[in-house]
Amino acid sequence: MSTSSSSPSSDEELIFNPNPIPKPIDDELTLASLTLTESNGNGSVGESDRYGGAGVVLEAEREGEREGPSSPSSSGYAGERGSSSEGTSNSRIGDEDDDGIQEVINDHDGFVDGVGDSSPSPSWVPGKRHVDEDDASISWRKRKKHFFILSHSGKPIYSRYGDEHKLAGFSATLQAIISFVENGKDRIKLVRAGKHQVVFLIKGPIYLVCISCTEESYESLRGQLELLYGQMILILTKSVNRCFEKNPKFDMTPLLGGTDVVFSSLIHSFNWNPATFLHAYTCLPLAYATRQAAGAVLQDVADSGVLFALLMCKCKVVSLVGAQKASLHPDDMLLLSNFVMSSESFRTSESFSPICLPRYNPTAFLYAYVHYFDADTYLMLLTTSSDAFYHLKDCRIRIEQVLLRSNVLSEVQRSMLEGGMRVEDLPVDPLPRSSMPHRLSQQRILTQSPEIFSESIVGIGGPTGLWHFIYRSIYLDQYVSSDFSPPISSPQQQKRLYRAYQKLYCSMHDKGIGPHKTQFRRDENYVLLCWVTQDFELYAAFDPLADKAVAIKTCNRVCQWVKDVENEIFLQGASPFSW
Amino acid sequence: MGLASASTATDGMQLCIFDLRRGQNEGQELDKILFFFPADLPFSTQLSVIGLSEGLITFTRIFSPEAACEVIEAERHSHVFYEAETDIWMVMVVEKGKDSDAIWRIDALRKVLKEVHSLFVMFYGSIRAMLEKDPSGGLIRSHLYPFIMDYLSDFPVGKKLQLPSFRDCLKERGTVQMLTMGREAAIEVQSLVSVLDSCAGNSSSYSMILFHDLLVSTTLSPDDTINLFTYAALRLSPNALSSGVNSWSYIRRGSTSSHFVSGSALTHSGPVSEQIYHSSDTSPVGNNINRVTRALQHGKWYKGKDGFLVTDIWGVVVGSLVCATPTVWLQQTEEAMYLCPYQFKSLTLILLIPVSSILNGEQGVALVKQQLLENASLKILKVEEKLSKGWGGENAYHVSGYRYLLVDGDRNISRASPPGKVTTLAKESLLALSKLRDEVDLEKSRAKRDNAGCEKDLEVSIRAKNNAWAVARITGGKELYMVLEKASETLLYASDAVEKFSNRYCNGAFSLD
Repeated sequence: MSTSSSSPSSDEELIFNPNPIPKPIDDELTLASLTLTESNGNGSVGESDRYGGAGVVLEAEREGEREGPSSPSSSGYAGERGSSSEGTSNSRIGDEDDDGIQEVINDHDGFVDGVGDSSPSPSWVPGKRHVDEDDASISWRKRKKHFFILSHSGKPIYSRYGDEHKLAGFSATLQAIISFVENGKDRIKLVRAGKHQVVFLIKGPIYLVCISCTEESYESLRGQLELLYGQMILILTKSVNRCFEKNPKFDMTPLLGGTDVVFSSLIHSFNWNPATFLHAYTCLPLAYATRQAAGAVLQDVADSGVLFALLMCKCKVVSLVGAQKASLHPDDMLLLSNFVMSSESFRTSESFSPICLPRYNPTAFLYAYVHYFDADTYLMLLTTSSDAFYHLKDCRIRIEQVLLRSNVLSEVQRSMLEGGMRVEDLPVDPLPRSSMPHRLSQQRILTQSPEIFSESIVGIGGPTGLWHFIYRSIYLDQYVSSDFSPPISSPQQQKRLYRAYQKLYCSMHDKGIGPHKTQFRRDENYVLLCWVTQDFELYAAFDPLADKAVAIKTCNRVCQWVKDVENEIFLQGASPFSW
Repeated sequence: MGLASASTATDGMQLCIFDLRRGQNEGQELDKILFFFPADLPFSTQLSVIGLSEGLITFTRIFSPEAACEVIEAERHSHVFYEAETDIWMVMVVEKGKDSDAIWRIDALRKVLKEVHSLFVMFYGSIRAMLEKDPSGGLIRSHLYPFIMDYLSDFPVGKKLQLPSFRDCLKERGTVQMLTMGREAAIEVQSLVSVLDSCAGNSSSYSMILFHDLLVSTTLSPDDTINLFTYAALRLSPNALSSGVNSWSYIRRGSTSSHFVSGSALTHSGPVSEQIYHSSDTSPVGNNINRVTRALQHGKWYKGKDGFLVTDIWGVVVGSLVCATPTVWLQQTEEAMYLCPYQFKSLTLILLIPVSSILNGEQGVALVKQQLLENASLKILKVEEKLSKGWGGENAYHVSGYRYLLVDGDRNISRASPPGKVTTLAKESLLALSKLRDEVDLEKSRAKRDNAGCEKDLEVSIRAKNNAWAVARITGGKELYMVLEKASETLLYASDAVEKFSNRYCNGAFSLD
């Protein structure tokens, strides 16, 4: 395999260099595409389909269609409550809180919003909603956030809403706009009209378009299109470009057939997962020793020819190890975990699946061995070798034994229940830097129940009106986000806050003149404070009436608090990431 | 036929006006074009700019029927849209990053479009009305072309168009700048205004008084005030008359001496412009092209012996040597008015008399002028004296340590640090504020759409990489933008500086307590 190089190699070289020697890419693509059409893979890989990542998974999806990421614990990401919020009152107060139809149709949001209140439409397809709509439907036009992928010849590849085939005409229009501007030796980026923004991203023969009235900034939406493209590359590798070179009218939809659920889950995560704009990952809070134990056993397997070994709980990292010099970009981790979590078949069997890490090497497949230890915790072992299944299976068995022996898995469960940092627990006086184990919270109340999400409980947040914070460590490429607590309780409020953070992030990291150092922003919803230094970035949200001086002091206390517990909330001493 | 290749030949800017109701049949597309700058671009290129614009207007209406395309951002160009009248669109295409100053604030560019259109309507009435008068389009084209070319000639630096860029982020087009005066002076002004009112008899005349380029008093509606104020500052004020020796005005940009546009592009008469813009020779209206009044023509206003400003732009009264008095249309009353400017030293008075109230034309106007001289001369003298005494010079509104722009959106008034002081700011500071204003512009337009009537309340302070603070405060319809380069490190210090400014100069409008 040609993919073991540690630095992401330039795709141009691999694609345009006619050198016939490193050929496997093309083969892999063919294989991947073949398995999509064949009913089953290679029996030699035990119960798992060898290329199930794109193949079998798709079948499995048909049962798991209504399955969002599983219910929330107090992990803080109430946005994860895809499926559980299905029946609850998704009362849409502010229309900015929802990607569904603006104002008009009372319908569910995000991940599961295809399920109508009462009558699921018979033509409903996994991961895709409102498939009966097309660009002539009023309801389709009123969706708050569309995503499209199309080929440079105007063939639809993916649409978040509606049936791609019915949208062929619309897709051709998008293509016409892009090529019209390209004929003028320019490249279109954005069209703004009233509340709406149309954002374009051109990636060789692949065009991505977002049409949104969600008030997110251009940079945010563009970043989301980049991730969407990355997700596609993760499934197919960039060598799909070659198909377009051979045949501009190449129809890509069969290659991606059934992966709707992966895309829709990613799109949903734009609403609740700060990793999508921070370009950092987050860890499950764990005692230092516990994480060390997990890291040690992962390191063992990494030394035996595994490129990356990741132990994750939902979208949070328990531990992560890379082979020498290999580094994993947080965006790749996000896309990989989204792929695994949204594909039901990974949950039910151990799988070995070709995947591509777009930031690591967009032109080559790696192979991912995926195994769930429990409903939320899963192991991913990545290798360059296509016949390493049995080796990785052995590795997994070894890892599992150690994890069980050292109680890591039960600690993970416990941490899931306990949650992470809560603003209410912000120490009044920063304690001296003792290493009190698990001092995230001093008086944890474990009786949190779903009522916390009802509006009736009016919380005041933490001291001095602190409602929430995100701390991003620049060296570690990790962030920690406080758990949500009242008054930021409903998913709508959480989404709104994330969007406010997103906007703040973009404003701070302006491409031309950024990054700025400090920003204070007060509007009718919040006081937001952002502080960017060489070591970290802090984003904090306060009551809109918060006092400036006190808010600044509180931010300092948050930073101290994070430092005090950094051994529990961050993965320390992982291989140096140097991208 | 690319947009880009075309624009590189033309200072990176294109401006077009087109009518969506025209030229809908194949082969008649050229009919849509009412104006295109630069006019010597091949028609295919002109049509491609308009085709893209039209396409995106249609496309965006699928999702946003109530507000069609406002801007297209491409890697190398920004296309700024403004629907001046129903189905009549103005689109400006600017090239980005061609030089280091080519960083634009979209809203500022749109205000240029709005301004030129408002001025046009003030002199000639709406574009639609003129199209209805002459459906061939010859009439409107022959009016738009010289008018906009004259307007653009106010943006030159050397041989280039210098459109408002990030360096102009402490200015607000479409607002008036007021003179602050003492109580005594205000009383004098008030009494002068009532004399002016009486000059034209009891008819509904209006007046406006300027001192240098600052507004002293107006009896016009806000929109008409902005238009006339803009025109006065461009062409009538003492600074404008002295042909741009001194250019500190908030409105006039740069020197007006280099009439590069009128000098080159306007007079160039390739077959293209002949065809489009001079076609009225054969049109039913049959007006000779020379008869089109070029209301914005440079260097055409003179101060007469009697103190009244005169121009021959509007021609000469038949059978005499008397210049015809210009007329303007008021937006509010939709009435045609005679425009009679009078100047004494730095004081400019503008009297607007309804055309309908004067039966015997120029004679009647002369009579009114005569009355004004008789009744108001003394008062004018007095007011000028009072205002001159209190006048602090072009840096009158400089506040040391601050670079600011204060906008009262409800009253369309702005005040800002003098341009000379703003140029002392670092490029990074200006860029930071310009970007911040971009963000605020978006928030404002959202707030406007979402809940009309409910005012946006916003406070943003950014410490940029160069340690300067860029500040924006929006409250109760008022906006304050500020750059503080020496405000030390802390947010509290910067906020304190803003607070002090607010208390001292804004009656505490932006103060928190």
